[in-house]
Amino acid sequence: MTNFYIRWGGVCIVAIVLIVLTYNHYRDNLASLAPQQVKQEAPAGEVRVLGMVQGGTLETRAAGEATFSLLGESVSLPVHYEGPPPDNLRELKILVLIGTWTADTQVFEARDIGIVPNYGFIAGAYLLGLLPLALLLFAMTRRVSLLYEEIKASKLYEEE
Amino acid sequence: MMVAKKKVGMIVSILLVGGALGYLALGNFGENVVYFFTPSEVKAFSTDYYKKKVRVGGMVVEGSMETYPDRLGLTFQLTDGEATIPVTFEGIPPDLFKEGQGAVVEGYWTGEHRFESNLIMAKHSEDYMPIELKRAGVELPRKDFMKSLVE
Amino acid sequence: MTIHRVIRKVQRFEGWFGGGAALCLIAGLYVGLIGSPPDYYQGEVVRIMYIHVPLAHTSLLGYTVLAVGSLWYLWKRDPIVDNMCQAVAALSAVFTALALGTGMIWGKPTWDTWWTWDARLTSFTVLLLILIGYLMLRTFVDDPEKEARYGAILAIVGFVDLPIIHFSVEWWRTLHQPQSISMRGVSISSGLLVPLLLMSVGMSLLFSYMLMVRTQLLYLDRLLHAKKGRLLSQFHLSKSDS
Repeated sequence: MTNFYIRWGGVCIVAIVLIVLTYNHYRDNLASLAPQQVKQEAPAGEVRVLGMVQGGTLETRAAGEATFSLLGESVSLPVHYEGPPPDNLRELKILVLIGTWTADTQVFEARDIGIVPNYGFIAGAYLLGLLPLALLLFAMTRRVSLLYEEIKASKLYEEE
Repeated sequence: MMVAKKKVGMIVSILLVGGALGYLALGNFGENVVYFFTPSEVKAFSTDYYKKKVRVGGMVVEGSMETYPDRLGLTFQLTDGEATIPVTFEGIPPDLFKEGQGAVVEGYWTGEHRFESNLIMAKHSEDYMPIELKRAGVELPRKDFMKSLVE
Repeated sequence: MTIHRVIRKVQRFEGWFGGGAALCLIAGLYVGLIGSPPDYYQGEVVRIMYIHVPLAHTSLLGYTVLAVGSLWYLWKRDPIVDNMCQAVAALSAVFTALALGTGMIWGKPTWDTWWTWDARLTSFTVLLLILIGYLMLRTFVDDPEKEARYGAILAIVGFVDLPIIHFSVEWWRTLHQPQSISMRGVSISSGLLVPLLLMSVGMSLLFSYMLMVRTQLLYLDRLLHAKKGRLLSQFHLSKSDS
């Protein structure tokens, strides 16, 4: 039985390492700011902002340019996007923008526009898919080890 | 007593399997009842269908989507390549509901030849690729999208 | 009493399957969760595919093994084959349920619905019902030989659901998308295909390993039961003698 527990200890360690790696990876992508935070703090460099495209403000030009206001709880952020407007971009939609805030012109230059990622669904699916299998396998291998011990202990078993 | 119980159990389990298979073969499934209608079929609906809740599947026509400025909801055109029907929808559409993509809408075909929907389900295709490739215009071999809507 | 030679073989080789499954799944999880790009249309949620599709295809594989094993049992009447059938049915039921569960979780952010009765989802639910019915039937039959025979017949009849599941997305209009990997070609680009294949191979190996473990479990259980039964009858005999 010692080998059995060593093996499952290894499985647990690998699982923890994978969870930590994944969590760290997504923490970097998850951190998004609200429009009011961007206006107040004026962060340098590239940031993620989460907000809703304000109704009636979206203007797209065929040349590959879009301007709109990203609405937070109280303030809205003027946004300028260069490039062909993605399918996701439409009014009253909650989006995540990746880009930089220029304090001088008070305009957010968006480099990329994406839908709000559903990390909860991904985590839920992986937990639902893998956890029951791991528990079932643990219970089965444990029982098989015990059965072998019981059979070996019984007088009826003949060694090869 | 015990034996009788076991008999009942056997019959129940066989009925479970038989019933499930029978549902597949005969029931509310298969070629008799379709999961969704196409816009062409909807246009040909007789008046009997006007008050019935139905599903319609098709492609959202590029450039046809319009939102209301003052409230949630939108209007768009749904097509199967042959016929196109106007759809109105109240509420928040799915994240993946987009122009030029597939959608299945649930609701009522009205006498004014407009589809009033209260549920949109986004139908995505079976091709998957990173956004850089898509922007570069890469096309993957896949079943013609309209063909999976219209036999 | 000795251990059956098939079980001894299984005991010797199961480690390779378990180890291979662990390696593939670790690599698949790493690439699937961290190392692969998001999809152009679904975004990050596409990662659910790497767990949902392997679970679904493994449960279909499992049912195929059950049907073949059932035919084999009816032909050879070897109790060890029946142990394998019983084991594979229970595991397929678990995998089928998990495939449905992860599919529901994928459906909500993509289709915007947890469940809908389209042909693919319905025929897959029928698979779960067949497996539950199979396992239930086995608990209600007293005679082990009859139990195995009735089960085998039920499993073979239920096999008709498999082509229905596979072709449901081609034969009928469904909300579920058609197969990505088929005779037409592969409609997944390589960056997203690698984690899917790794997870698929890993899940198949894991299923094989679990099957080996569970077959052993049922076999050893049967062995011990037989022994206990013998002791009990000896006990009864000695009692009636006195």
